[in-house]
Parts: sequence; structure tokens; C-alpha cells
Amino acid sequence: MHFKFNRSNQIHQTVKSGGFLFLLFFLSSVSAFAQSSKVTEEMPRDERGKYIHYEIVEKNIPADSLKERALGFLTLKKLKSIQPAKEEIRATGKFIVTKTALMLGHPSGELLYNFTFEVKEGKYRFWLTDFLFIPYKRDRYGNFVASTPKGTPLENNPGKLNAGEWASYIDAADKQSNVLAAEFKDYLAAVQKIKTSNPKKKVISTKSW
Amino acid sequence: MKLKSLFTFSALTMSAATYAQETTTSSTPLQISGSVDTYYKYDFSKRANIGTSFAEDQNSVSLGMIDLALKKTTGKASFVGELSFGPRGQYGSVPNGNGEAANADNSFHIQNLYTSYAFTDKFSMTAGYMGTFIGYEVIAPTGNFNYSTSYLFTNGPFQNAGIKANYVFSPKVALMVGLFDDWNVYKDVNGVSHFGAQLTVSPVEGWTAYLNMLSGRSAGAPGTGSIYDLTTAYQVTEKVKIGLNAADYSVSNDNGGYSGAALYLQNAFTPGFSLGLRGEYFKTKDIPDSDGSSVTSVTVSGNFKAGGLTFIPEVRFDNGNTTRFVKNNLDPTKSASQFSLAAVYAF
Repeated sequence: MHFKFNRSNQIHQTVKSGGFLFLLFFLSSVSAFAQSSKVTEEMPRDERGKYIHYEIVEKNIPADSLKERALGFLTLKKLKSIQPAKEEIRATGKFIVTKTALMLGHPSGELLYNFTFEVKEGKYRFWLTDFLFIPYKRDRYGNFVASTPKGTPLENNPGKLNAGEWASYIDAADKQSNVLAAEFKDYLAAVQKIKTSNPKKKVISTKSW
Repeated sequence: MKLKSLFTFSALTMSAATYAQETTTSSTPLQISGSVDTYYKYDFSKRANIGTSFAEDQNSVSLGMIDLALKKTTGKASFVGELSFGPRGQYGSVPNGNGEAANADNSFHIQNLYTSYAFTDKFSMTAGYMGTFIGYEVIAPTGNFNYSTSYLFTNGPFQNAGIKANYVFSPKVALMVGLFDDWNVYKDVNGVSHFGAQLTVSPVEGWTAYLNMLSGRSAGAPGTGSIYDLTTAYQVTEKVKIGLNAADYSVSNDNGGYSGAALYLQNAFTPGFSLGLRGEYFKTKDIPDSDGSSVTSVTVSGNFKAGGLTFIPEVRFDNGNTTRFVKNNLDPTKSASQFSLAAVYAF
């Protein structure tokens, strides 16, 4: 589409004409996006209003064994800033949020969280909270990297336009917390196998049969 | 050429040796991502006037590009292949297709095509065609806050083919050194002619600075061109970000060059709306028979985000020390201004 000007005041009309299409497109996109978005807050919150995954587990296992196993699990899962104390362990971790469809996709961000473990004789409790979301962006080399070092608390209001995306991050925090919690409980419940440095490999003989 | 062959052979040999030692390999799913962008621009002189890359068409709803990127990692090896189609990625970028002018309007453009191998958590090597390590802005619109581009971006390299080694000394310091072809070419006809390096420092959380250099003699060039570049960004708070790009490019034997600096200030007023200001000073260097000229540019851009869509309204004012622009009646003038609206979708 090409416009010609006969009068200088037609400039504004032209800008309106060209820009109008864009504005119309944008506003209708935003409207549709906002209508299709609804925040589903299924993840529980604590007394501070923070999203939390919280569990108390009763297990007939000595407290020091539980603590030792918890420490092993957190190390195995590569959580950071692991701080063991007398009856508790604190650590920080992160979940990668990935958009996937038909085995294709890419990471869209990461969720940072604080992990706390407390133990008493015969029972323990643990929780994941203080979730911060950091969106990823594609860098100049085609790799997905954190777009900012400062995470946004998951409790923040994302606004209408981004509510749908934000709800998916809360959902991801909930699901990945559940998975990690299940693995954690399994790990603490099971007797850990002692790893030998040179396990004997089974050799199959094809000479005698 | 021998140097390049030796370097490549060494890299491949080392890769093979290390790969052989691997007892386990982990594979990530194929990553697919990309972007689509389109824009409307109106220059108040009624003609394309400001020398910005890509968003050039006057009073037209025009296309940027569709950008498609693939990435796959298997164990310690990975590849990235990124192709773009459309004006921004074709005749807006260099080179076009096979580099022939006749094919300029009918081609695709390679943004990235490289393989990489991480020998350890700290040391990796990469070979292929890569987005340049020089400068603040990039070709893909998803990587920039402003839609129009800076003079420093337009005049600097877009991409570099070559082989590079990267070593991470600590979370705060990393070094890249590499051998590269001429700027923006898929192949080098005068051998691997450039040496480049990048020192990355992250003094405090949120602040990263890149000290870059690239030097070499391009095919047919009258001298050796050397560019020194500082690119840095500091996320001051969750909402405020400051960026700076300063560069100096010289071609030896008084064959010109340029220097300049661009300051970027951005504030996120809400999760869905940010406003950014870019102020730039750019100067071409004197050559024996011609004085260089300078231009100052101020760009104000908004970023409205709705899911993967970013809408960028933008106004830009440029003012030169010479009559480098034109008025409505084609009379030369020192200043120019434009307004643009862009829609960028990232997936």
C-alpha cells in the first residue's frame, strides 16, 4: 500500500492508516490473549503468602541416618549452598521450565527455590518455597540463557497479558516440586547401596554351552 | 591456510580422544526456536532517511524475517543451525545466499551454523559460522530492545566464521580466543586472516562486561582493520537495566574507520511494559582527502509483552554535524526523525 501526500496535514492521516493496522492487530491479539488466559493457583501458599510444597513424613529410621541420606540426595541432585546444621539442612536449587511439543521444544526459563529439611527422631519434614522465575532468552549464538540475573517472585502479579504464561510457570513449580519430593522420599526410605569403585563385570562365556 | 588446517585437525583429534574416554552420553531433545517480525515505519521526511539496518521501508507494513533455529546436544557435543528468511535475514544482512548480487533477493541467510565440544565444564571449542561476539545489538529482533539498530551495530561485524576456544577461569572471568575469516563471509578467499579475543568479567551479580578485539586484513582491504569493543550491561534492580557499548575501528595506513558509544537505559514499569532509551554518538574517521562526520541519535522504544508477542512502538531522532539527511523537498539537512511500530513474536 502506498500513500501520496498533497497536504502536510495528511501525514498524520497516513501514519494513522499504517499504524492503525498494527494497533488493531496488537489490541485484538492482546484482547484475545487476555481472554484465553486464566491463572490457576493450585499450588498451596504458606502463612507469608509464598507458594510452598510442604510435607511431613513419619519414618522409623534414626534421625542421623535420615539426615545423612538427605545430604546425599541434595548432593546427588546438585543443589547449591548446602548448609547442614544440627537438625536441619538448607539448600538452594533450580528447575528448568521447558516448552515441549512432540519431543521438540526449548527451555523457557528457570525456577529458583529454597529447600529446607528438618529431622526429629522417627520423622522429618521438608519444604520448597521462595520460588523466583527467571525467563530465558536466545543469545546471539542460538543458546538459551537467563535474560536477567534477578528473579521475579512467583507470587507477583504478572498482569493480564502474561497471566497465561505465568500460570504455566506456577504449574511447572508445582509439578516439578512433586517429582523432586517423591524422589526425595524414596531416597530417604530406601537403604542406599554401597557403591564399589570397580564393580566386577559379568563375563559371558560362549565356549561351553 | 595451514594454520587453519592444523587448528581444525587438533580440535577434531582432541574431540575424538575425549569422546572415546566418555563412558556415558546424555542427549537432550532437539531444540527448535525462532522468531517472526514485521514492522511499519514512517520517516517524517517521507522517504527512508536514517541509516538503520533492516527497518528501512518507508510508509509500508513490511516484513522482517522468520528465523528458525535448531540445537541439539549429545554428551559433550552440540550443534546450532539457525536460518532466516525474509528481508531482514536476506538482503538486509550479508552475505546473501552464495554471495552473488544477482541472488540477493532470493536467498536465505545463515545466522549460526556451528558445532561445539565441551572438553570439560570449563573448556570448550567451537567451529563454524557464528553471530559476532562484537557489539551490543544482534540481527535477531528478539535480542534487541529497540527495533531500529544503532550505527555501531550497522557498521560493525554481523557474524564471524572461524574456530574459537573458550575457557572459564571462574564464575567471574572467562576468556575466548579464536581465528576467524573476514567479517560476514561463509568462506575466506585470503586465508584465515583475523585474530579475535573476548575477555568476560562479571564483577558483581547482574553486571557483565565483555572486552572484545578483532584484527586482521580482509581480502582486497587497503590495510589491517582492528576493532576494539566494550559491551557491558548491568541489571541494577529487578526493573532497571543499564547497558553500554563503545567501539573503535581503524584501518591501518590512514584508511579510516569509526568510533562511537551507545548508552542503553531501560525500565520495566510492569511485567508487561518496559520503556527504553538509547543514546548514541557515532563518528567516522578522517581519511586523507575527506573529513569524517558524526551523528548523534536518540531512540525511545516501548516493549509491550503479551505471551510470546512483543509490540515495539518507537520514535527516533538523529542529528549529524553535516547535512547527511534530506528534507521532504530533498534539500539536505542535518537532522531526521522517524516513527515505527514493530511486532516481534518469539517461539
